[in-house]
Amino acid sequence: MNLHLSPAASADTAPPHIRIDRLSFDYGGARPAVDALSFDIAKGEFIGLLGPSGCGKSTTLRMFAGLLAPTSGQITIGGQNIVSRPPWDRNLGLVFQSYALFPHMTVAQNVAFGLRLRKVSKEDQRARVAEALRAVRLESFGARRPSELSGGQQQRVAIARAIVIEPEILLLDEPLSNLDARLRDEMRFEIRDIQTRTGITTLFVTHDQQEALTMCDRIAVMNAGKLEQIGTPAEVYDRAATPFVANFIGRANNLATTLSLSAGQPTLVCDGQTLPLPTDLPINAANGSSIAVMVRPHAIRLRPPSSDGLTGTVVRRVFVGSTIETAIKLDGGQTLIAELRPNSDDTALAAEGARVGVDWLARDMRLFAS
Amino acid sequence: MTKLLSILGRAYVIAIFAFIFLPMLIILVISFSADSYLSFPPSGWSLKWYGTVLGNAAFMTGLKNSAIIAVIVAVLSLLLGLPAAYALVRMEFPGRTLIRNLILTPLILPAMMLGLGILMVFTPAGLVATYPGLVLAHLVMTLPFSIRILQTTLSNLGTDVEEAAMTLGARPLQTFLQITLPRLMPGVIASSAIAAILSFDEIVLSLFIVGPRLQTLPVVIYRYVNERTDPMVAVLAVLLIAISLTIVLLVERSVGFAKAFGR
Ligand SMILES: Nc1ncnc2c1ncn2[C@@H]1O[C@H](COP(=O)(O)OP(=O)(O)OP(=O)(O)O)[C@@H](O)[C@H]1O
Ligand SMILES: [Mg+2]
Repeated sequence: MNLHLSPAASADTAPPHIRIDRLSFDYGGARPAVDALSFDIAKGEFIGLLGPSGCGKSTTLRMFAGLLAPTSGQITIGGQNIVSRPPWDRNLGLVFQSYALFPHMTVAQNVAFGLRLRKVSKEDQRARVAEALRAVRLESFGARRPSELSGGQQQRVAIARAIVIEPEILLLDEPLSNLDARLRDEMRFEIRDIQTRTGITTLFVTHDQQEALTMCDRIAVMNAGKLEQIGTPAEVYDRAATPFVANFIGRANNLATTLSLSAGQPTLVCDGQTLPLPTDLPINAANGSSIAVMVRPHAIRLRPPSSDGLTGTVVRRVFVGSTIETAIKLDGGQTLIAELRPNSDDTALAAEGARVGVDWLARDMRLFAS
Repeated sequence: MTKLLSILGRAYVIAIFAFIFLPMLIILVISFSADSYLSFPPSGWSLKWYGTVLGNAAFMTGLKNSAIIAVIVAVLSLLLGLPAAYALVRMEFPGRTLIRNLILTPLILPAMMLGLGILMVFTPAGLVATYPGLVLAHLVMTLPFSIRILQTTLSNLGTDVEEAAMTLGARPLQTFLQITLPRLMPGVIASSAIAAILSFDEIVLSLFIVGPRLQTLPVVIYRYVNERTDPMVAVLAVLLIAISLTIVLLVERSVGFAKAFGR
């Protein structure tokens, strides 16, 4: 159980566009690959599905697309349960990590494929293919074969092919992981831009937290098949609901402490040193229970050592450009990493070997009872 | 040291090639002989043995029979092999691995034994010395190859592209015809070519079930060589090689052999 107030879910009265309800899939392994996943997606939302490798992101996407039948649970779109519909009857656009273009067709034929199957007239096909290729900035590439395109271009063809059928929802499975760093940055922007212009509800799978934070309206963080938290990038970053989320998204220090309620004022005891807690923090853990304190490196402040609070020794100081990364070994033995701004008062204190006091604002820490 | 090894290596490779290709070269030379018996080197040169072969009714009938059978075998090998390969690669069923492993057994079994078995089944069925009989017998040899080649090509394709087609609205049959089959073309061509070549050259099984009414070219040649040896044999060998080589070159031209085998 966690001690902080979780953000109040925005009371939504309208039925959600898409609802995932206790969705599970079991390959027959030690644990289900996807385990009772539930969340809602609003129309036009760009949702990131974020989690470490093997946490069940692709499996979830494949259940959406109809390529896997859920072991249990439902996916409803506009109130209709779609899990029993075959993939060709779902009107979803899926972009694979491998792009999966049709190598024996030209770019234009690739994009037209879904329209052709929908018996769209030749003229309309041509117009819509041209429009989709324009949307991904590949107007002049219609006659080429996929093998004659760069990775980023192939990926944009895959997106054009998926959006041209005006899908109910666009599913992207780590579409950027095959691209080099520069192209990846460009494509992040382009994908988000295309999505904003077309307004297609999008589920974007990634294991890159940076990508999720920069691109998504909301992020669903998964771990070991389960949903850990869903919220806006700021929510999952600043108000992580679980230790896993806190550590998976952004960097975090974790301090092992013990809760003490004896002196009226609740305090956390960290290897004999005490951290006062604000009295308005809702506490529902027993005296003496173990509490993990999570604090981001950039939230840590240094001050001259004093008798109360945490004290320690600077053991390492590394210049990394925009920040100075400092490791502080607390007197109790645990180590904190702080990211200090160059030329700040904090930095002045942080000479290697110097004794320092450490603190942070109460709002910058998250507490997790273990 | 490395230098010596590389020289030895090259000499070894050349020796192997000589071992394989020298007999063919000698046969090619003898086929242009003017002598009336096999001798090397020939004492004179002529094309007369080519004329004799082309004018020989038994050989020409054998050639026609073999060609017809080879074409039918190639087509049937594909039509029967493709669904089998598809099932073995894409479908889950009990015993799949076992069947996959057993599929090549006809190639390890002694051809004599197969031939005898086939004869025992075909005689009561009235299939001896008939086109259907020969085609069926050859299929026993060609199907394992066809299935194996198609299996390799199919599993190299992966399933992503087909799944993408399905999410775009393609039903399974549409997916197969419009996506899988075109991408399978190299394997289709290669397996058909191999089946045709195997059938065209097949002799052991054929010997058991040909009869005076229906002979294949290899059988005619074999019988002829048993009685006589003159440069006509060399000409026939050259023709057989030329036909196989033509098929291989056609495949190479259309898809490339390496690609056909899924490299
Ligand atoms: N075909 C399969 N058979 C058995 N287990 C599978 C299969 N595919 C995936 N799994 C297992 O299911 C779990 C979830 O896999 P999934 O592919 O959904 O993960 P993912 O989150 O997409 O990971 P990644 O980021 O590596 O793509 C993993 O533990 C994986 O080992
Ligand atoms: Mg995946």
